[in-house]
Amino acid sequence: MSGLSTAAQEAIDAIEAGPQGPSVGAFFDLDGTLVAGYTAATFYGDRLKGRDVSPAEFLRTVVTAVDGELGGDPTRIAHVAFSAMRGESEEAFADLGERLFRSKIAGTIRRESRALVMAHQRAGHTVAVASAATKYQIAPVARDLGVEHLVCTQLVVEDGQFTGATDGPMLWGRHKASGVRAFAREHGIDLAESYAYGNGYEDVAFLSSVGHPTALNPHRDLRAAAARLGWAVLDLSDPVGGSLVAAGRTLAALAGMNAGVGAGLAWGVARGNLQEGRNAAVRLATQVPMALAGVSLDVLHQERLWTHRPAIFVANHQSALDIPVLGWLLERDFTIVAKKEARWDPRAMVGSIVIDPAWIDRGDSESARATLDGVVERIRAGTSLMIFPEGTRSATPVLGPFRKGAFHLAAQAGVPVVPIVLRNTGELMRRSSLVLNPGVVDVCVLEPETDWSTDDMSERIAALHTRFEETLARWPA
Amino acid sequence: MSDTSSPSSSEDFERWGGAAAWSAGTELTPMQTLLWRAERHPVQSSTTTVVIDLDRIPDWKRFVAATEWGTGLVRRLRQRVVEPVVPTAAPTWADDPTFDLAYHLRRERVASREEMLAAAAQVALRPFDRSRPLWEAVLFEGLPDGAAYVLKIHHALADPLGTVQLLSMLQSGRRAHTARKPVGEDQVAPAAADPVDLAVGGLRTDVATLPGAARATARALGLAATRPQAVLASTLRYGASVRRLLTQTAAPSPELSPRTGKQWSFLTFDTALDPIRTVARQGGGTLDDAAVALVLGGLRRYHLRRDSPVGEIPVGVRVSLDRADDLGNRFAQAIISGPLSIDDPVDRVAAVRGEVLSLHTERALEVLDAAAPLMNRMPSFVGASALRTAAAPDAFVLTLPGPPRKRFMAGAEVRGMYVLGPLPGAALTACLVTCGDTACIGVNVDASAVADLAELEECLAEEIAAFGG
Repeated sequence: MSGLSTAAQEAIDAIEAGPQGPSVGAFFDLDGTLVAGYTAATFYGDRLKGRDVSPAEFLRTVVTAVDGELGGDPTRIAHVAFSAMRGESEEAFADLGERLFRSKIAGTIRRESRALVMAHQRAGHTVAVASAATKYQIAPVARDLGVEHLVCTQLVVEDGQFTGATDGPMLWGRHKASGVRAFAREHGIDLAESYAYGNGYEDVAFLSSVGHPTALNPHRDLRAAAARLGWAVLDLSDPVGGSLVAAGRTLAALAGMNAGVGAGLAWGVARGNLQEGRNAAVRLATQVPMALAGVSLDVLHQERLWTHRPAIFVANHQSALDIPVLGWLLERDFTIVAKKEARWDPRAMVGSIVIDPAWIDRGDSESARATLDGVVERIRAGTSLMIFPEGTRSATPVLGPFRKGAFHLAAQAGVPVVPIVLRNTGELMRRSSLVLNPGVVDVCVLEPETDWSTDDMSERIAALHTRFEETLARWPA
Repeated sequence: MSDTSSPSSSEDFERWGGAAAWSAGTELTPMQTLLWRAERHPVQSSTTTVVIDLDRIPDWKRFVAATEWGTGLVRRLRQRVVEPVVPTAAPTWADDPTFDLAYHLRRERVASREEMLAAAAQVALRPFDRSRPLWEAVLFEGLPDGAAYVLKIHHALADPLGTVQLLSMLQSGRRAHTARKPVGEDQVAPAAADPVDLAVGGLRTDVATLPGAARATARALGLAATRPQAVLASTLRYGASVRRLLTQTAAPSPELSPRTGKQWSFLTFDTALDPIRTVARQGGGTLDDAAVALVLGGLRRYHLRRDSPVGEIPVGVRVSLDRADDLGNRFAQAIISGPLSIDDPVDRVAAVRGEVLSLHTERALEVLDAAAPLMNRMPSFVGASALRTAAAPDAFVLTLPGPPRKRFMAGAEVRGMYVLGPLPGAALTACLVTCGDTACIGVNVDASAVADLAELEECLAEEIAAFGG
């Protein structure tokens, strides 16, 4: 997989060269290791916003947190938070965890941490998240990474409500280490061959319980200890946050986009050829703003975009950036299918003038089918179609299941499907972010697939899904 | 006549040469000075006692002659500490013009090993004559199987590690007498051995270094003025670390109090070293970690038998400041929470390992070393109370490398070497010395703190057996 730092790549090579199989454990800390920042802060921020917090509780939390920083008991802050949760419904809290994961936490998962997890999974290791956090913080992240095991602090639940107490000690410092040792005994894991990743000074005992400890983006005290103990230190890049400069460039890009559309259309009107005007507008509206935002493309197999037109282009979807990227790639003579509700979305109006989408009404299957018949006609007449088969943007780079619509259209219109794999658009522009960060978008166009029919459609879709996953896991050179 | 199994005498010569070069500095280090000035015997004692089991009674004349030679070789053994009249300078070592070997070395008769250990504890409890060289040795004869050599030595002269090193250096690889041994060069006595001269000299040095110190202070203040946030943050972090080191350990066990520090009782154990090393390896720890786990296991048994549910106790350990795994040159004393709740020795070693390594994140680990020079400029009771307020653990545990092979003292074979350390506020101090393939464990117990001493001895013996099996 390219796009990783040399250090991360070396760590992955070492995992691949080392012992394989489930008797080798790989233990990942959550906060600051798998994700940048603290998930607990996200949860607390949500509590604050929801005004669930009385001024007294807020003061107590701040004082406890400061005291913990100044050498007091650092786990007390968590116990203050746990006891404040007494009487709350576990289900509601688990739902909150899912919601916060999608809106905030998913975007903070480190790409290279994900690559490390995947390397351990490929080696058949027993991968676990070991953290002092609760499962409501960890479970969505673990699920997204395909990690099955959690070694974490357990909250006591009675009749579906938190009692405010923990079951056993909070898995912090030594307790996390003994939790990992107990897990290893239960699962027949050889700790001397195992790996652990952590970032805080409290992780030393946890890290020292395995044969291959790594201080991952360590805090300064752990960094000093790692140097003294001769442990591996790995510094991974954090997901890019929106900087002021990036925000400025995004504004310029939006302005550029509108100017591009206007200029292109004006040119088309002047030439008396609206189709040509639209194509010009697409080019201007994608290339100008992306250049302004500092985004460029690195495309593998660009020729495949042109060998099979008209075609149905399918791509994975992570970011609002995907649409201009695809516009840039497809350049001319294409349209998209969009839900009817988006027609009056002010952001979509500009685009709809340019590419004239096929609006479909999801609530009314009769009219949807009629629209699609119209689309098939347009495809046969030479207009390619761009569809995101996942249906909706994924919260993380993990690929969602594919819907069948695009492939039915390919069968009906008798055109090929051209798969386009996009990487790191979600990093340059996060799911719910309006800010575009500068960088390079990796694009890989896969082999076009022809002759679609309903007979073997499910198998072919599944096979294509696998090819997307493999391409994302091991980016072709 | 010559013992073929013993190493060649050239190895002896090399080692003796090392002994002659031992302790070259003339001034006490800041830490030694602090211990020396703050000493309140025996509660705040800095005395280490070494018990050496010998397979036979050595010839007394040869023994005296060998000691005479040893003190000539290692000059420090004939020197005393000279204090400046006011504490402007560190105390210094100076030859004792009235050195008399007969004052320092004598022999006594005892009927049993228990009697010998009790007598050794009494020797250890007697304060030193601080105007003489800081060591005292007794050869105990009359034991059923051989003899015992008991050496009491002050921390200012040698810490436990140094004591064991020194003794190992002075022993011989052969049972036979070595006729031509190296002798120490006649050292020139330090120039300022006079208390007044020392004080004046110290003041003069202070004045000479004053401009430099002023510049350093100005630099520090300048840094604080230009980067106040960085200086404040770093100060706070250091303070937080000090606080964690001083406060966040387990509460002392009620089973190990009240401690008076005035009744020392010596216990000794020996066992094969290999099984302990194996447990250490399985737990991912060092021999040091295993020794701590072993003592904790004994105390766990003791607490269980006395129906005293204690989850963890504070244990004093020595942390290498250089590397984690080996014996480095710089050490810090620190306190960890020793688990009493873990039954499995391997798991206990792993837990101790984690605790000890966690100390490496503490930037204030060297705090006592850092504070020593400053405290030495204050009246001695300040240093003494500082040492006292540094929270005392329930137990100190220490591992020391002894002679790797068979050694002899004046023709008698060394069968075991036990170090009985002081009890600065602790209920017990345990030392594991590696003698060849044997672990010699010496435990000094504050008899006033332990309700049933025999029970404790039994529990420790059982735990040692558990490590062996």
